[in-house]
Amino acid sequence: KMAAAVAGNLRRAGWRLWRGRAVVRCQLYSPQRALQASAVLRRVSDEQKEPLASSSQQQFDSHPTDHQPEQKPPGPRPSYTGQGGQESEDYESEEQLQHRILTAALEFVPEHGWTAEAIAEGAKTLGLSVAAAGMFHSDGSELILHFVSQCNTKLSELLEQEQKLVQLGKAEKKSTDQFLRDAVEARLRMLIPYIEKWPQALSILLLPHNIPSSLNLLTSMIDDIWQYAGDQSTDFNWYTRRAVLTGIYNTTELVMMQDSSPDFEDTWRFLENRVADAMNMSDTANQVQSTGEAVVQGLMGAAVTVSNAETSRAVR
Amino acid sequence: LPAGGVSLRPCSTRATLEGINKPVIDRIIRVDHAGEYGANRIYAGQMAVLGRSSVGPIIQQMWNQEKYHLKKFNELMVAYRVRPTVLLPFWNVAGFVLGAGSALLGKKGAMACTVAVEESISDHYNSQIRTLMEEDPEKYKELLQIIKQFRDDEREHHDIGLECDAETAPAYSVLKTAIQLGCKAAIFLSERI
Repeated sequence: KMAAAVAGNLRRAGWRLWRGRAVVRCQLYSPQRALQASAVLRRVSDEQKEPLASSSQQQFDSHPTDHQPEQKPPGPRPSYTGQGGQESEDYESEEQLQHRILTAALEFVPEHGWTAEAIAEGAKTLGLSVAAAGMFHSDGSELILHFVSQCNTKLSELLEQEQKLVQLGKAEKKSTDQFLRDAVEARLRMLIPYIEKWPQALSILLLPHNIPSSLNLLTSMIDDIWQYAGDQSTDFNWYTRRAVLTGIYNTTELVMMQDSSPDFEDTWRFLENRVADAMNMSDTANQVQSTGEAVVQGLMGAAVTVSNAETSRAVR
Repeated sequence: LPAGGVSLRPCSTRATLEGINKPVIDRIIRVDHAGEYGANRIYAGQMAVLGRSSVGPIIQQMWNQEKYHLKKFNELMVAYRVRPTVLLPFWNVAGFVLGAGSALLGKKGAMACTVAVEESISDHYNSQIRTLMEEDPEKYKELLQIIKQFRDDEREHHDIGLECDAETAPAYSVLKTAIQLGCKAAIFLSERI
């Protein structure tokens, strides 16, 4: 009976959270409310552990009256005896909380896919209520974008470290094609734990409401790779290089989805060939340009010769 | 991915990028780079027509200064990791055509074009200086210094143009208005695209 009461509380709390969150989202809220929102989440999760049905209901009802619009300094930490690690949490913004939930949710993606279930499981491991999944879109967009963003950050750090080693003389400077191959491979390898569900993620990233964010993440990742590869072009090459690398990355990613060879060696061979193609293409472009210039000069020379011949004939 | 002739120096630009207003700086550097690039092409066009005339050396000198400006902005572009405008190939052709076209109107026509363009550019630099001063003069000290220097150079070009009887060029006011309108459009587009 106690359990039923607690469950009832949870459902009501979850519904109020949802509405409260919607209200909070509609206004420009101060961090104060975010703190209260996360505090509420924790209290609700506490109720899972402590069967204080009646008193918890009162606790929860007292919250709406606390929402005062005056400017208070970031208030005192809600003092409660939650689980072990939770007590040491300092004042945390809603964004940080969301990041923690999403990071925890990644563990459950291989099993549940990029869904609200995975987010709910992640929230549970942090000791929060499963209602926390209500903070996010139901199609798992935020989870995927969070993952992509995390991978890009990891890649940047990796490239930064490599660069430091080269600057300190502890490592050899790689050739451009080797650098690009390694960078793309390193980034794609981060997908391996989630490879089963990645096609689903790709299709979600292509949804219209996600395209601005996913495009942004893709272009900044490609720009990062070129930056560390030492690209210093300030003309149209800037665009050509990034377009080519984006093409290489995307096609290699798609090949990886369908690759069943041991340790994805087919994918890395495909990548190597594409990068080699790109380098060839640029060499060819250079050759075409110099040939063109030579031809033009030849024609100019011929024109001058002919006109000289004409004038000398006219004079005679 | 042009292989030859590109120096691939690893440069950690994190330090430069800390705490700056990236969107504003991006726009400023992108449009200034496009402007100097266009100015280079205009002078190239003028030299192609008037290179062997009496104003040839004057135009050459102004062109050399623009080359230095462009070099500086190339460096800034790499340092601040700014994307160049996608319209560069277009400014390449348009600038040359404007320079050659104005030069075909004679020496005074070329000088009129110079006056119009340099006036636009120095006004534009002035408004950028104002923007940066409003943001944070201390943080952007180096950039401010560079833009102020270049604004003074462009003003000098403008004055040289006037000295070379730009105002007596055929249809001076029409030419000047048309060119300045084109410059405004170029600035608007290069900031965004």
